[in-house]
Amino acid sequence: MVTAESGVTEAPSVTREGVGDGAILLATRGLTKRFPGVLAVDDLSLDVRAGEIMALLGPNGAGKSTLIQVLAGLHDPGSYLGDMVIDGLAYRPTSVADAERAGVVLIPQEINVVPEMTVAQNMFLNNEPTRLGMIDRPRMHAAARDGLRDFGVGIPVEARMGALDLATQQLVVIARAFAKRARLLILDEPTAALTEGETQRLFVHLRDLRSRGVAVIFVSHRLTEVFAIADRILVMRDGRVHGDHEVPATTREQVVHEMVGTIAGVHKEPGVPGPVVIEVSGLNVHDADEPDRLRVADASLTLRAGEVVGLFGLVGAGCGALAQALFGSWPGRVEGSVRIDGQEIRGSDPSTSVRLGIGMMSQDRRETLMLDASVADNIVLASLEALSPRGVLDVPRKQSVAAAQAAALRIKARSTSQRVGSLSGGNQQKVQVARWLTAGSRVLLLDDPTRGVDVGARAEIHALLRQMAADGCAQLLVSSDAEELLEMCDRIVVMRGGVMVQEVPAADATEAILLSAAAGL
Amino acid sequence: MSLDTDGQAETISAPDDGRSSFTRLRQQVAFRNYTLLLVVVVTWLVFQVLTNGIFLTQRNLTLLALQTTITALAAISAVMLIVTRNFDLSVGSAVALVGVVVAWLTVRLDVDPLIAVPIAILVGIALGAWNGWWVTRVGVPSFIVTLAGLLVFRGVSLIITNSATISPVPKSMTGFATGFLPSALSIALVFVLFGGYALFLVADARRAKAFGLIRDVGPQVMRMLIPAGIGAVIAVYVSSTNGLPLLVLLLGACVLAAEVLMRRTRYGAQLYAIGGNPEAARLSGVNIGRAIFWNFVIAGLAYGIIGVALTARVSGAVAGSAGLFLELDAITAAIIGGTSLAGGRGTIVGALLGAALMGSLNNGMSLLNVGTPYQDTARGLVLLAAVAIDVVGRRRS
Repeated sequence: MVTAESGVTEAPSVTREGVGDGAILLATRGLTKRFPGVLAVDDLSLDVRAGEIMALLGPNGAGKSTLIQVLAGLHDPGSYLGDMVIDGLAYRPTSVADAERAGVVLIPQEINVVPEMTVAQNMFLNNEPTRLGMIDRPRMHAAARDGLRDFGVGIPVEARMGALDLATQQLVVIARAFAKRARLLILDEPTAALTEGETQRLFVHLRDLRSRGVAVIFVSHRLTEVFAIADRILVMRDGRVHGDHEVPATTREQVVHEMVGTIAGVHKEPGVPGPVVIEVSGLNVHDADEPDRLRVADASLTLRAGEVVGLFGLVGAGCGALAQALFGSWPGRVEGSVRIDGQEIRGSDPSTSVRLGIGMMSQDRRETLMLDASVADNIVLASLEALSPRGVLDVPRKQSVAAAQAAALRIKARSTSQRVGSLSGGNQQKVQVARWLTAGSRVLLLDDPTRGVDVGARAEIHALLRQMAADGCAQLLVSSDAEELLEMCDRIVVMRGGVMVQEVPAADATEAILLSAAAGL
Repeated sequence: MSLDTDGQAETISAPDDGRSSFTRLRQQVAFRNYTLLLVVVVTWLVFQVLTNGIFLTQRNLTLLALQTTITALAAISAVMLIVTRNFDLSVGSAVALVGVVVAWLTVRLDVDPLIAVPIAILVGIALGAWNGWWVTRVGVPSFIVTLAGLLVFRGVSLIITNSATISPVPKSMTGFATGFLPSALSIALVFVLFGGYALFLVADARRAKAFGLIRDVGPQVMRMLIPAGIGAVIAVYVSSTNGLPLLVLLLGACVLAAEVLMRRTRYGAQLYAIGGNPEAARLSGVNIGRAIFWNFVIAGLAYGIIGVALTARVSGAVAGSAGLFLELDAITAAIIGGTSLAGGRGTIVGALLGAALMGSLNNGMSLLNVGTPYQDTARGLVLLAAVAIDVVGRRRS
């Protein structure tokens, strides 16, 4: 697919600024990592040069995360095949600490800091300078200050970490990585939680690192950012390298094409839309920790009975936040108008939503399922009121309702008293569907309902959702999987940075259109 | 560094801003302990008025110090465990068992206290290690492990003694628990300690100045030295007639050791990190299991010290009542002192002040002839109020 272009990638680049000696810092040969049933990284060979910023792109499930986890020592060295070399020496990290000793530092998407401790303590956690067996605080504070100053971050080193905003926390984490003399810095979606200004600030620092000969692997979905910062773009798909380009020598269209491939989507048959069920206008969703930060800004949306509306966006686009805000489970402040059947809802919370016939299926099953409770208890959880005449739970009726539902949905369990946590992911998701079917929900908010679910169960869940839509249930489907949206939805709304940027009828949409809109091309 | 990058610093916070928020944040950390110190002082003044001047006599303050010592020792150990999100419900029973061991050795077997006391302390450490083993190796939650310890240790104590009191322990032991360091020596010790602390603060501040962290040595030193000075003045006043009780000196040594361990060693930083964010601690290479095991071993050392001290003070071991409800008093003192049950937050000095506040309430109300039921009620309300004020304060900020 990329043979025609790969000649171009060999061309020497003269436009890059501050490139180091270009010597190969890290090389992998034949790297293969297999999970049960999935070949995550497939015979992958790549070179990363000192002083270059390499962007790693690819659709969900392409193997990007697994690759960087292997590089950073998060996987047991015996669990993958192939060789890795750093500076000509064999490299096979046994732990995160081992990888860091070799100069490979991963900054995960989820920033892990100790909020109650100071900036200096966080920077030197478990690595404190000591004097006579005691922590040498003046030296630690001075070193932290110097490390931060190196990055042009002027925060007091005795500030509580939890008092800083996310971007500054991230800069502290990067400064810490650099204090560990990182030679290969791996950033996993570092801009997902950052604003535009914060992102630019991060980029200034990354360019500075590059000029000092540090290699950076930058995992991101945001093409605009990738083209702004990267010297080289590596596209992964199905565990393999699908494209390797010097940045000036490629185009966004080409990269999108390599990421998406060509798939003929099967579209949903358009139904007959019923009356408007939910009408949202001017919805603002504030971040829980930083109330000034808007996660969703001025969103408006209508949902009709029997209609399935897709919500597509990259990490941090606000799709999940919008769904949670509608259900009333968002921890931060929400403002704007939400009408259900034309009736204005004030200060909604999940119990009100359930009473009004709104259900929510979350991607994180640990959040919505009682994993230690039985299938039956999970199915009836949203219908306890109806099953408890005069406040006393009608146990036989509960069992029969749950059993009927489990049978209708073909939930694979020994019995309805089996623990939900022992079911497969697909069957756990079916239990969630069963819960809202039992509750008679008219609106379903679905947040990535088939993430991590195998192909067969996924098809079954899709069929169930289609049947519910045909019976008049309105659905808002949030998914990071464009293919799923094309199959399931009547129309798809694309969000970027908390704002709804485009709406496309599913019949006219393609993965390329959605991805381009979401990435801001 | 390019001009461009320097410009970035301005957007985050100008240097002057940094300076002012620097001091503000430092003040916030110390704020809670200062508030608590103020509450203790106000409580003392109120009791002084209500008791017509009996409360702040040397004799009563000595008694108050002795009454508070046992709770304070247990509270120190409680803080260190709660900081890592662990509970210790077994301390009261473990103390009773250690007391039984030391009394059995000295009274029944006539063992010299110089041998019996170290053995008893080792038994305490073994009990701590037992708790730690179940928590870290088997993975039973500490609440359950130490709840079991509460029952088992007390049960074993009663079985060994057949519910009988073992007394009296040798004079050399009771002598330590009820003895005083002579007045002149006490005052000299207070001066030496205060001077040493001042020198340490100055040296630390000088280094900070050399690194360019602070402009002047003075303010940083004074802020820490003033509360220490208040404590020194009280200590000199109390010790001017009889001197300082040896038990109080023991408490002082334990506070110092725990304070250094928690705030000035890597191990202490690990404990705070484990409680604040276990994942961050793990990713920084902290061996969480090992750190928590040693956490319980240190608690075991506390069982040993408290058990011996308590037995010596009452001159015998009463398996059924020694250390009864000590675990609750310790946790209460730690929480009043600002320790968070969610982990990652809590100070030794705070726990000491919490114990002092509770001890003062008990002592003052006893002087006023207020009965135990009222005392319990008052302590419960103080606990509730302390935590409520903390929670509301946090929500505001």
